[in-house]
Amino acid sequence: MELDDLKQRWKEKTNQKPTNKSIMEMIQHKSYGPVAALKRSYRKQVMVMLLIPFLFLLTNMDDISRPLTSVLYWCYVVFCIGMAAFSINNYMIADRMQRMDGVLKENLEQQITLLQTRMKWKIVGLRVVMLFFIVLVEVLPYFQHYRMLDKWHSLPVFTRYGAYAGLLILQYFINPLVLQHKFGRHLTSLKELVAEL
Amino acid sequence: MQKHELEKQFEKQISENEQLLFKVCHTYAYNQADREDLFQEIVIQVWKAFPSFNGESKFSTWLYRVAINTAINGLRKTRNFITSYEPDKLPANFSDDSRSEAEEEQFQEMYKAIGQLNQVEKAIVMLYMEDHSYAEMEEILGVGQGNLRVKMTRIKDKLRQLTRNN
Repeated sequence: MELDDLKQRWKEKTNQKPTNKSIMEMIQHKSYGPVAALKRSYRKQVMVMLLIPFLFLLTNMDDISRPLTSVLYWCYVVFCIGMAAFSINNYMIADRMQRMDGVLKENLEQQITLLQTRMKWKIVGLRVVMLFFIVLVEVLPYFQHYRMLDKWHSLPVFTRYGAYAGLLILQYFINPLVLQHKFGRHLTSLKELVAEL
Repeated sequence: MQKHELEKQFEKQISENEQLLFKVCHTYAYNQADREDLFQEIVIQVWKAFPSFNGESKFSTWLYRVAINTAINGLRKTRNFITSYEPDKLPANFSDDSRSEAEEEQFQEMYKAIGQLNQVEKAIVMLYMEDHSYAEMEEILGVGQGNLRVKMTRIKDKLRQLTRNN
């Protein structure tokens, strides 16, 4: 049996309506696609990151000057703003990924580019965050005294810097593996599809 | 354009072209629940993109693009969508009615074989079965007509092989 012999049958069979819901009812629903889920999670991340410094202030209302004069607090504020900006950037990437009205080939190529850009930024971003905290832990005691850092700074310099180097090396290898696990399969299948075109 | 007016126009356009969406759902999803989900997801994506439709191409061509892109990208992680090369998960049948048993069996075999194609090949077969010209296919898929002709010949060979093996 040839494909062409089945054209009429195909047309009849595939005419069945999959659902009785009305069109206008459907558009009231949220999208359940993976990109829509990503966008929702980025929106949450932005809100959480911007709320945390305020919540911290709220829990210290009895002595508000303490967090406001703390270098650590302001570093944390900078970190949260940076993370929120990163999430907004990711949100914008996901938003572009959600555009579905281009021709299939271009759409798939765009998905690949955006996904690779996102992965690259995530790797760079995580490295910057780690370096930021390493510098913070080393520099902070010069400005303010923090009991929690006393023990760490009592260790020999070689041990501390060795630990930092270890952490950076570990994340250098682990981070791409985690990203590969999370997005790699999807990326590979997209590349395969583009190759098919 | 006001939202109410836009909604009215959208509903009209979708109602006029809904057969097209049914076909995409039947090509990419193999049970009722998945088809319902895919149909809803496509309608949502079409609604989101609707304001950017500028009439450069026919509405049906534009609709095919959104529907196929959504089917291929939009629901990848959800539930049990059948991806290519998972013949075990393919439907046992897609039958209703009235045709002779032999004819029905042949159709089922071919439908099952189409299910084993990859996502791009499925799109090409679907458009071919709907008698779209290669020029229209090019507008939807972004692949040159010569290339599409070669692919169609290969797909037919592949389907012949698959139906022989099933």
